[in-house]
Amino acid sequence: MTSTPLPTLLSILQVFLNLLIFLALAPLFDGIVRRVTARVQNRQGPPLVQSLYDILKLLGKENIDSTGILPFRLAPLIAFASMLCVIAILPMAGRATALTQYADAISLVYLLTLGGVAVLLGAFASKNIYALIGASREMTTMIMVEPILFMILLLGVLKTGSLDLGAVIYGTPMAAFGLPGVVMIVVSLFGLQAFVARQPFDMAEAEQELLGGPFIEYSGPNYALFKYYMMLKQMFYAYLPIAMFVPLLGTGFYLADLALQLALTALVFLLIGLLSATHPRYRIDQAIRYFGVLFLIALGAIAVAVVL
Amino acid sequence: MDQSIYQSLQTGIGLLLGCAVITPWLSGKRQWAGALNFLATLAAGLVFSGLAIQVLNGNSAPASFDLHLGGLAIPLLIDGFSAVFIVLISLVAAVTAFYCIGYMEMDHYRHYSLRSFHFCYPVFIAGMIALVTVDDLSTGFTIAWQMMTLASFFLIRFDHKDPVIVRSANKYLILMELAWAAVLAAGLMIPGCGWGTPLHQIADQLGMLDTGLRTLMLALVLLGFGMKAGMFPLGQLWLPDAHSVAPSPISALLSGVMLKTGIYGMIRTLFWMTPESMPARELQYWGLAVALIGVVTLFIGTSQSLKQVDAKRLNAYSSIGQIGYIILAIGAARFYLGPDAALHTLALLAILGAFLHVLNHAIFKSLLFLCVGSVQYTTGTKDLDKLGGLFALMPVTAIIAGIAAIAVSGVPAFSGFTSKWAIVASTLLSGKAAGIFVIFGVVALVTSAMTLATYVKLYGMTFTSVGVEWNEKNNVHEVSKAMLAPKAILAAVCLLQGFFPWLFVALFGRVLATSEGTLSQALGTPAVFDTLAQSYSGIRFLGSAGTPVAFSLPLVMVAMLLVAGLVALWLRRAGGAEERSAPVWLCGYQTLNNANRYLSSHIFDAFKKFMKWTGGNVRA
Repeated sequence: MTSTPLPTLLSILQVFLNLLIFLALAPLFDGIVRRVTARVQNRQGPPLVQSLYDILKLLGKENIDSTGILPFRLAPLIAFASMLCVIAILPMAGRATALTQYADAISLVYLLTLGGVAVLLGAFASKNIYALIGASREMTTMIMVEPILFMILLLGVLKTGSLDLGAVIYGTPMAAFGLPGVVMIVVSLFGLQAFVARQPFDMAEAEQELLGGPFIEYSGPNYALFKYYMMLKQMFYAYLPIAMFVPLLGTGFYLADLALQLALTALVFLLIGLLSATHPRYRIDQAIRYFGVLFLIALGAIAVAVVL
Repeated sequence: MDQSIYQSLQTGIGLLLGCAVITPWLSGKRQWAGALNFLATLAAGLVFSGLAIQVLNGNSAPASFDLHLGGLAIPLLIDGFSAVFIVLISLVAAVTAFYCIGYMEMDHYRHYSLRSFHFCYPVFIAGMIALVTVDDLSTGFTIAWQMMTLASFFLIRFDHKDPVIVRSANKYLILMELAWAAVLAAGLMIPGCGWGTPLHQIADQLGMLDTGLRTLMLALVLLGFGMKAGMFPLGQLWLPDAHSVAPSPISALLSGVMLKTGIYGMIRTLFWMTPESMPARELQYWGLAVALIGVVTLFIGTSQSLKQVDAKRLNAYSSIGQIGYIILAIGAARFYLGPDAALHTLALLAILGAFLHVLNHAIFKSLLFLCVGSVQYTTGTKDLDKLGGLFALMPVTAIIAGIAAIAVSGVPAFSGFTSKWAIVASTLLSGKAAGIFVIFGVVALVTSAMTLATYVKLYGMTFTSVGVEWNEKNNVHEVSKAMLAPKAILAAVCLLQGFFPWLFVALFGRVLATSEGTLSQALGTPAVFDTLAQSYSGIRFLGSAGTPVAFSLPLVMVAMLLVAGLVALWLRRAGGAEERSAPVWLCGYQTLNNANRYLSSHIFDAFKKFMKWTGGNVRA
């Protein structure tokens, strides 16, 4: 039996700090995307905090239950909760939280999947054809995209021989990743829009054709939870490659590292905004082929990393 | 003690065979006969469990025992490894027997006599128990295999008025006899071995053969057991057909436990029949070959399962996929037990994954078949294109099916999670020492997303979404308590497996301590076994530096999710929003006409086309 070190007060604070950062910034980052999109389309665009206003407003709106069964009501809770767990275990700026020692990289991936499952559960429970079409596309995207995300993490696993999240994300200096690292950066850039479910890969929601897909029957606080979940997830996916591939400053100041990481994440959101404003949506079959190629490239990088 | 366990074994088998003789005479009173069948299975199960507990509590592996049956000598061996399979078979058999009492009263089966059913059921169970206790590949093996195969053949073709079912059953019989022939041929062809030669002697003889012949012999045995387990491409030949046409409780037994006898055989072959004198490199090649087959099996099986619209076929294909995980883990463990001692701890993690997945899959897959059976019982169909919206009508079954579905998908803290975690982690952590396994691990992970998609579909299209027919009919309702109770028991076991994996790690420790052979020698030592640090919260796997490198802590995850869920609940209420229910508006008629629905066969359409090359396609 090994005893786990008792969590320090600081690492417990870290959990709350993580949650605070994500809950506060995710809507702002979403605001960046909306603003960039607006500018590209020659519009003024909403204020940066508009997404937060939206959520607050929705929380007070009428909650309409179209099915009366448990899964419909449970789904938004599970989705939001699973994302909070992911954030709580995430080591930000190199510091493990009190909960990081309880979940490894595999647990992280499965927790992310749980959020997706909840969205699907809600969609299937909705009794709405559009929701089902959206769910079908969402799941298809998930099957193809989640392994790509995992392979990015896997690079860290191979270098450090550990699945501990701290080691996986921060355990390898940039240079030691070598060629596979460069390939993975390219892959994560090309996969970015899919990770955050933005155009050209927003087939599941596809406002214009599916009217929001899985979320069509949700309203009020339930919809607010789902929206918040999507924003948090988006921020997580934008943050992860930064944490993984941009080395920490090494000044020893946690806040400096954190600020740099968040500034870079904001830049990533600029990119997301630009890309989604300038790209039309793919059809699901085209997207599958695109992901297939991306998957093979990532797998190739892993193979190279194993051999080298 | 050694004598008494074999006495108990004979008592238990005697009970089952006695029941097989008596019950058919009562079959006029269908429920009485069913109850008697259940009581006999339960009594025998208790006897078996008693002897298994005795074995697992022992200090070392029990001695083997020669059973003299007329002129035949059958070597028997019950070590810790057999004991676990015995308990598993007893548990699922007893629970299923109870379920049968109600299930066989289904309208469709009313006009069938239960005489042959009640003869075959106990014989089938006895055959499976015998198969995991005989210690040869000839006499005892033949008796056990034939009892199991012939009895299950008649159980599968129970609904014999349908020619499709009879054809599926016949195919099953032919392939199982071929599998038997392959194993028997190997058992008799090895020089110096004949009828009734125990395994350790076979292993010694194999050691003296030249490589070519030895490879052929091992390949024959693995082929036979692999065919039973559902290994690609042999499983596809019989498994989906046989499992989908049998009565649901029988499907539960076939998928839940019978396939595991194939796994049992494969593990015995790879770890007990491989002589000490065999070159390590040759053994590693076997490991690699088996792991490769496992990876192909899990990927192809699951992607075929995704395409099915028949709920039972979907479960059957998914069984192939899940068995693939187990085969992968067995192969990986065999490979890691090579000269590189650093990999030995990974072998422990891999074989632990296989062991856990055998136990977990047995429970959740039986449960899934029983749930589909209940749905079929009340609605009369297992076609996902027709089902839907049953959550409101049969809530208990729906919740139990939900537990099984998230367990098979490997959602954190539920039972499939820790076993898949162990299997995937053991492949990924091998790193450069066994690079190909890292790729296998990635494939396994992709596949677990497909499993998830499969079960989201099964669950969504059965219990949630909308059904057309039963909006009009009002005779669809929850099944009786007698059919819910067995499912509730299995669901409880399933949750237990998910939340407390350390219990099963401790059990695995006992298995290693009470068995002989390569596994116990290499992995049972404290130096290796202590790399699995267990506690109430779960399992940690320690790396070479003594720090945990992979961990699965279900209870912590549940706690985290619960707290986060409460936060979400608070947030939902924080705005003080009013609640109202209103039906979905889709320009009318959605719930009245099947043509207005989005059907199960439409779901994942693009992905199914993308995966067309994996076969198992269903014509729309």
